[in-house]
Amino acid sequence: MVRMDKFKTFLAPFCGLVFGLFILMLIVYLTASLPIFEREGLAIYTTNVWKASENPQKEFYGVLAAIYGSIYTSVLAVLIALPLSISFAVFVIDYAPKRLKEPLMVATDIMAGLPTIIYGIWGAFVLVPILKEYVMMPLYEHFSFIPLFSFRPVTGYSYLSAGVLLGIMVTPFASAIIREAYRSIPYIYREGVYALGATRYEATKILLGYIKPAIVAGILLAFGRAIGETVAVSLVIGNVFNINPSLFAPGYTISSLIANQFGNAYIYKYMVPALFAAGLSLFIIGLIVNLAGLMYLRRFKYAR
Amino acid sequence: MNAIETEDLHIYYGKNHVIKGVNLEIPEKSVFAIMGPSGCGKSTLLRSLNRLLELNEDAKIKGDIRLFGKSVFDMDPIIVRREIGMVFQHPNPFPHMSIFDNVALGLKLNKLVKSKNELKKIVKWALEKSALWDEVKDKLHEPASALSGGQMQRLCIARAIALKPKVLLMDEPTANLDPVSARKIEELIFELKKDLTIVIVTHSPAQAARVSDYVAFLYLGKLIEVGKTEDIFENPKEELTEKYLTGRMG
Ligand SMILES: Nc1ncnc2c1ncn2[C@@H]1O[C@H](COP(=O)(O)OP(=O)(O)O)[C@@H](O)[C@H]1O
Ligand SMILES: [Mg+2]
Repeated sequence: MVRMDKFKTFLAPFCGLVFGLFILMLIVYLTASLPIFEREGLAIYTTNVWKASENPQKEFYGVLAAIYGSIYTSVLAVLIALPLSISFAVFVIDYAPKRLKEPLMVATDIMAGLPTIIYGIWGAFVLVPILKEYVMMPLYEHFSFIPLFSFRPVTGYSYLSAGVLLGIMVTPFASAIIREAYRSIPYIYREGVYALGATRYEATKILLGYIKPAIVAGILLAFGRAIGETVAVSLVIGNVFNINPSLFAPGYTISSLIANQFGNAYIYKYMVPALFAAGLSLFIIGLIVNLAGLMYLRRFKYAR
Repeated sequence: MNAIETEDLHIYYGKNHVIKGVNLEIPEKSVFAIMGPSGCGKSTLLRSLNRLLELNEDAKIKGDIRLFGKSVFDMDPIIVRREIGMVFQHPNPFPHMSIFDNVALGLKLNKLVKSKNELKKIVKWALEKSALWDEVKDKLHEPASALSGGQMQRLCIARAIALKPKVLLMDEPTANLDPVSARKIEELIFELKKDLTIVIVTHSPAQAARVSDYVAFLYLGKLIEVGKTEDIFENPKEELTEKYLTGRMG
């Protein structure tokens, strides 16, 4: 008991430190973005304007396009990553030959750890031209009456390009969580499903139901990484203040906006606060998404 | 008629030879116990009967197994498992599903019901048959993980018999239960054998004596002796069997 308590007093400061840093960061974000809120109120989040000016009277910033783009591309990324990562996890555990399992897992873990600029360059020079030529153009030519496909893909830089690239980038993360959960399903449940006359497909479906919490965790992680990703996205999204329903339209995301504008922000009076406010919105989106996930998981409680 | 027959059955895990030429004849609508010390191959033998052993890539089976005269290896394994239900040593209802859904699952998978009403009827029937209905009828849609161990095991029995199998395999179904719950399962076995054939694995000779009509003694993968339960217990022919029954074996 005594030793436990000693250990506790040793650990507590670290816990406090982590929390302290987090709170401090939040405070910095709030105070640093205060000037823009005083000037514009919530218009910083609800309008799509980017007027930089030497004359502070003429400055006006509204990051709605970037918020829209961040959510749009991250949702796309999750929609792409989810089926990919589940299929990959099931394939590695259930179907891959024994000798291939370990190399496949190591390969995806390496993919997860690659610097994101590597994905960015590949995305800009390989993925975007391919998507433009073989996906966007045909869809636009035949289905442009559907709003999703209604934008003429001129450059190929678009929400779709960013979403696909992000989907590929976050798949290894989501897949690792789902794979480990799927692998550690107790054998008695596998036997239990098959003993009822399930086919392999049916058994997999039921066992995936058993690890639903891990799948939700995988989605959260994927979404969080996608919305925070910066360099790779800014290479393929087009970086224009644009709000368009079409997948093929170029746009902006919050993180690419911050990265692109950061360099010259100090010249203007209100741009730095505007960028901090943009960062704060990422905080808030992340918080909402994680709380929603936690609430879902809490509803999904079961013993053990 | 025999519900199940095995003929010169050999089972290997890789190079490890664990079942060595077993011939069994299990009469219809009886309780057939397989007893033997831990590690002698009881679970392996039992899992081969409904082809569940084939989930394990290392396991190899030689010889033949017949279900009512027909080789199970000529049947679709899914059909075999539908006709031969199984209850395991660790109660394994799916914790993420409700009590109702656990019982309904096999029926849905095998598309054995045409309407919701029919499904409800069979679920109720199965829960009544496994003496669980009165305890769960007010919480059918709560998660199965809320039940006690003994209740979970009866839920697993309900889940298995909902498919109306011809044979029910039970692998030490009471090994992880308290004595009262174990007693309930044993009573259930008496009820169930009116309709189906039960093959029960146990490491307890006392349990074999209480529940079974026939008993087989398995030792190091070999069938040492098999016969009517009272004959084996009163008058074992093999020395090994006698040693085992009198507790002079590890
Ligand atoms: N999945 C497996 N892989 C390899 N060997 C196994 C496996 N399961 C059981 N065995 C071996 O087969 C033998 C019989 O095991 P088992 O059928 O579980 O015996 P019992 O149920 O009588 O205790 C044991 O020696 C055990 O080590
Ligand atoms: Mg066993």
